[in-house]
Amino acid sequence: MCGIIGYAGHRAALPILLESLKKLEYRGYDSAGVAIVGSGLQVAKDKGFIANLEAQLGPMEGMTGIAHTRWATHGPPSKVNAHPHVDCTGKIALAHNGIIENFVRLREKLQAQGHTFVSQTDTEALVHLIETHYQGNLEEAVRQALQEIRGSYAVAVVCADEPGRVIGARNESPLVVGLAPDENFLASDVPALLRYTDRVLYVMDREMVVITPQEVVITDLKGKVQSREPQRISWTLEDAEKGGFEHFMLKEIHEAPKAIHETLLGRVANLEVDGFLTEGFNSVKLVACGTSYHAALVGKYVFEEIARIPATAELASEYRYTHGAADRPLVILLSQSGETADTLGAAREAKRRGCKTLGIANVIGSSLAREADKTIYTRAGLEIGVAATKTFVAQLVVLYLIAIKIGLERGTLGYEEADRLKDELRALPRSVLAVLNREEEIQALAEKYGSARDVFYIGRHANYPVALEGALKLKEISYIHAEAYAAGELKHGPLALITKDTPVIAIAVDDPTYEKMRSNIGEVNARGAPVIGVGSEDDRELPKFVDDLIAIPRMPWVFSPVPVSVALMLFAYHVARQRGCPIDKPRNLAKSVTVE
Amino acid sequence: MGPFTASVPKVMIPVGNRPILEYAVQALVECGVRDLIFVVGYRRERIQAHFQDGKAFDARITYVTQSKQLGTAHALGEARSHLTGPFVVLNGSNMVDRRFVADLLEHEDGPAVMITESDKPRSYGVVTLDGRNVGAILEKPTEVVSNLINTGAYALDPSIFPEIDAMAAEGKHDLPSVLTDLAQRKAVAAIRSEGTWVDALYPWDLLRLNTAALQSAHEVRAGTIEPNVVIKGRVTVGEGCVIRSGAYLQGPLSLGPGCEIGANAVLLPSTSLGKNVRVGSLTTVANSILMDDVNLGPSSVVQDSVIGSGVVARAGLLAASGPGEVQIEGEWHAVRQIGALIGEDVELGNGVSLACGTMVNERARAASGARLRGTVPAGAVVL
Repeated sequence: MCGIIGYAGHRAALPILLESLKKLEYRGYDSAGVAIVGSGLQVAKDKGFIANLEAQLGPMEGMTGIAHTRWATHGPPSKVNAHPHVDCTGKIALAHNGIIENFVRLREKLQAQGHTFVSQTDTEALVHLIETHYQGNLEEAVRQALQEIRGSYAVAVVCADEPGRVIGARNESPLVVGLAPDENFLASDVPALLRYTDRVLYVMDREMVVITPQEVVITDLKGKVQSREPQRISWTLEDAEKGGFEHFMLKEIHEAPKAIHETLLGRVANLEVDGFLTEGFNSVKLVACGTSYHAALVGKYVFEEIARIPATAELASEYRYTHGAADRPLVILLSQSGETADTLGAAREAKRRGCKTLGIANVIGSSLAREADKTIYTRAGLEIGVAATKTFVAQLVVLYLIAIKIGLERGTLGYEEADRLKDELRALPRSVLAVLNREEEIQALAEKYGSARDVFYIGRHANYPVALEGALKLKEISYIHAEAYAAGELKHGPLALITKDTPVIAIAVDDPTYEKMRSNIGEVNARGAPVIGVGSEDDRELPKFVDDLIAIPRMPWVFSPVPVSVALMLFAYHVARQRGCPIDKPRNLAKSVTVE
Repeated sequence: MGPFTASVPKVMIPVGNRPILEYAVQALVECGVRDLIFVVGYRRERIQAHFQDGKAFDARITYVTQSKQLGTAHALGEARSHLTGPFVVLNGSNMVDRRFVADLLEHEDGPAVMITESDKPRSYGVVTLDGRNVGAILEKPTEVVSNLINTGAYALDPSIFPEIDAMAAEGKHDLPSVLTDLAQRKAVAAIRSEGTWVDALYPWDLLRLNTAALQSAHEVRAGTIEPNVVIKGRVTVGEGCVIRSGAYLQGPLSLGPGCEIGANAVLLPSTSLGKNVRVGSLTTVANSILMDDVNLGPSSVVQDSVIGSGVVARAGLLAASGPGEVQIEGEWHAVRQIGALIGEDVELGNGVSLACGTMVNERARAASGARLRGTVPAGAVVL
């Protein structure tokens, strides 16, 4: 989970590499580095943000180069562990995103041959391996080295003796090529390229690419040339700017109504997976990681309520290492980036088990679309903030659309009922807007409770996962310890932790567990904990049981996770803001997790 | 405009399916003014989420938040750190064209106020002249002294800021006061333009503006159009729209993205539907604005009406047009042709009928069969 860039063109490489690299900072930012080929190979790197590296750079001339922003997996963040890594001759430099699994053995072998290692990274083994194969042809040397490694990688390699050439390769880590007149680019992700071009090529797993200012050639690991059509990217760079908002996260929360509009576009009348959802399964399994997993958990309740089909949710990192039951469910995989390593692994495992697979991703052309039988894109637009916001909401919207479709196809949902549900779906952008327009009230609550050391979230039913997500958001960006429980589980242990100093956020909307939730709030109240209720705006009873209230519009419970989750996003945002946290780049985290 | 500005600022009210503010931005950009400063306050997030950093409009937008809504001079003062040379000031809720902006830009020396003639001078700042210069600007005078009004558009330079500070010390925070005071000591030019300047004072003015805006709408056919749909004239059908069989669309019309038009529905000129609007089967809509997320049930009639975002009306809504009287801020206005004015998020049951000129304020609800007339207060429940 790092970001890599490569450039071969007619301009000075350094400013272009740094500019592009900044757009990948969401992938990791504990150290950064560049390598430029001009008169010889020049390398500069350091621990910390890219801006830190930039501040100490001297002139580096050359029109070919690579750059890297790191999120540490092997070896702590430090100057020596920062990429690019260099071979013993100081001529070959390499930037890598991924994990080389057999690096320990390779390293021992190479050290025995006399190679000197300076870092604790897995990556350094690869650059020395390339060195052993180098006989005047970098492309060949990289190809041979790749045959000997196991693991995931996206790499960019340059050599002092071959100016004007960058070699890239990919396996299970993302890599795209940007095309422009007299210059070409390599990058981990599209945003890094948008300033320079909107034409891209996607490199596939176990493929290599050679870029020069005039040419891009993609080959497989045997050297056979692969043809690939360029694609146009409809995102523009402006999507990547904050437009008057203090943080990307806040901007993206406020884009939730638009994300819902876009995701619904043309799909309320007809979801584009005709026939696929008709047969071949009697249950649904939703598989994902992190925030997407919480969407999956909501999905379980949505599918059972709307489509009346058994549904379960599982973590991708667990699912892929267990044995499946004999039953073959429809497996729905959710990943914002479409590059989440564990989710991709789970997709392969589901296929191996003979299941139909349906992906839900936000990034078009991402790996998930290739691994799953069918993919439905959330159209939430580019999301920069590390904490997922509008994309979570858009994932829920897609789950509603799929549930309605399955219900209609299987005959478990009547036409009239489906029509009613569609009206409610159409009303979702409005409900979210209603929550956004209460931002000031939510901000006031964040200020009131933001100094707490621990915060508990409780919910039941479809809003239990929303409680989990609310707690995750608070942890991620405000660094406050937060826990979420299914409210019925309080008595089984967590109640021991509730004191007058632990605010409890209780979601109590108009659903079949409303009465139960009220009893749970009573239990918490009895321990003296302040309670912030999240409930329907016209609920006259709830305010009597809670200290403060975040109101959402009344709606059928199955849709309530959408406005409730947006309210909790705003709460977490304002708590973090008040505490002065680096909201868009929380420590130790990266946007898309392409390592396992 | 109250019923339509509960969730958005006035500048974001759609006319011809674009926020009013977009017209000013477009006029400025066409005149080569690309560095724009938006002084924002109420519901600024809605403006920022739409315009972002301006690149989509070929502009660079900087946002300045007005901490307290004291007045126009105070608002301008908030932006002073961004203003080093001459600049123009526009009110974002007025629709202006390129010619208007060009005439304002043409004025070079000294401060200037753009004035125009109005048939409702009492609603504006009335300008008295001293030769070619401004004598005074009198805010909403009770006696009519002139039909010349202040458009709220100015050509200024940073020397205005000390004047603003001086008046602020006297507790006056509006630009007309600052310029009236300045005019006693220095020439403040009163300039006029051949271009367009329109202010939507009352909700029904939006219909007139909408008709004008739709004249220049593009002909677009996106989405799914089922067989036997008739489309005549200039009609924009946005992405992801579904038009069911038998629908009859007579342009000029503009349908935003994601609209669903039911079987045999009839849309007549000059009508705008925002994003994600649903019009039920057998429903007729003529010369109306339906803002985003409106869900209009089957067999309804809507004429000369403005329907705010998020309004849900079940089957058989009757909002037919005729002469009507509307009460705004206690004052009655006779309108020749008007249907209904329905504010944001109003919910209407089956078969609700509204007398001509009925104004239903935001979030009001009416049960099935209700007959409404006059003004329904915000959040009211009509049984």
